[in-house]
Amino acid sequence: MSGGESLRESAVFNLAGAITMIVDDSPFSLTLTSNALTGFGIRPTYACGTGMEAKKLLTDKPVDLLVVDTDMPDIDGFELVRWLRRSGPNPNAFTPVIMTASHIRRGRVTEARDCGANFVVTKPFSPALLLERILWVARDTRPFLEVGDYLGPDRRFRHTGYEGVERRADMIRKAKGMESLAL
Amino acid sequence: MTVITHNQRKSRLSEMLDRPGGVSVGTALAQARANLDGLQDQARAIIGDNIAVLLAKPDPNLIEPMRLDLAYSASSQIIDAASPFSMDDLCTAAKGLCDLLDAAPRQGGFDWRIATVHAQAMKLLLALPPEEQAARTAILTNLHEVLRKKLPAADQSAI
Repeated sequence: MSGGESLRESAVFNLAGAITMIVDDSPFSLTLTSNALTGFGIRPTYACGTGMEAKKLLTDKPVDLLVVDTDMPDIDGFELVRWLRRSGPNPNAFTPVIMTASHIRRGRVTEARDCGANFVVTKPFSPALLLERILWVARDTRPFLEVGDYLGPDRRFRHTGYEGVERRADMIRKAKGMESLAL
Repeated sequence: MTVITHNQRKSRLSEMLDRPGGVSVGTALAQARANLDGLQDQARAIIGDNIAVLLAKPDPNLIEPMRLDLAYSASSQIIDAASPFSMDDLCTAAKGLCDLLDAAPRQGGFDWRIATVHAQAMKLLLALPPEEQAARTAILTNLHEVLRKKLPAADQSAI
């Protein structure tokens, strides 16, 4: 995934009220991410060592931001996010998700792309990169798409105009509506 | 193929972002850096422990896939611990080893000397003072050469 914005030092943000969940089987990585978030003024509300524990909490408690490791022994990050996206009417189904990975195995690259996370960050990553991604997913307005097995944010980052004849019914309706308004 | 579009409601995260109060990016990053600095010694200890795992004599009862997974996990943990402290050379070396272990045949035949060479190189990188940039570059160049020679052609695009 690409995208993101460079950070301006003087820009002010307020995520003090965010309910965040970190999921990582490594206690040290949990501490690292928690400490970074605390520095950003974000209180890490839930720190889970297993995907199972996270799943239980995500069923009951509202969460505004999920930071999840990809590689975990019971339910891995990909499986957790795939479940989350399909867990509607659970309001957390649309929660912004950042996945972190020290290394993604070749055979799992497709899963990383298709699990439905808003962003996958591979290490090494600095606090600056993590903050940049958090601010980016906070402003992420991409619609969620359900295509075959995929349910998650639209994976197309750039929408270039289509030059041909419009054949999509919703777009034609929209265009007609605009015309009648113009009349 | 049918495409169902769910127009996303504004997330709570985006609503709270511009609320009064908060913190500037500069302050947030300085605070995060200060919070992480206290963990650097622990990170170095974890890196050292995982290098030791890579250098340890293997358990003869360990079957090849498990041995590969164990080494892969040790190498990943090195990346986890080194990454927030700008130990980028260690991350590069560990990532190379992860690539090689991931590409290794599960039924056996991996040249374990490669893991040993990487572990020894990482031990050296961990011990080298920051100003020894030339030595660091030389180590990474050699490891890159190993990666180029030993990684199957199909996986070369990653390096």
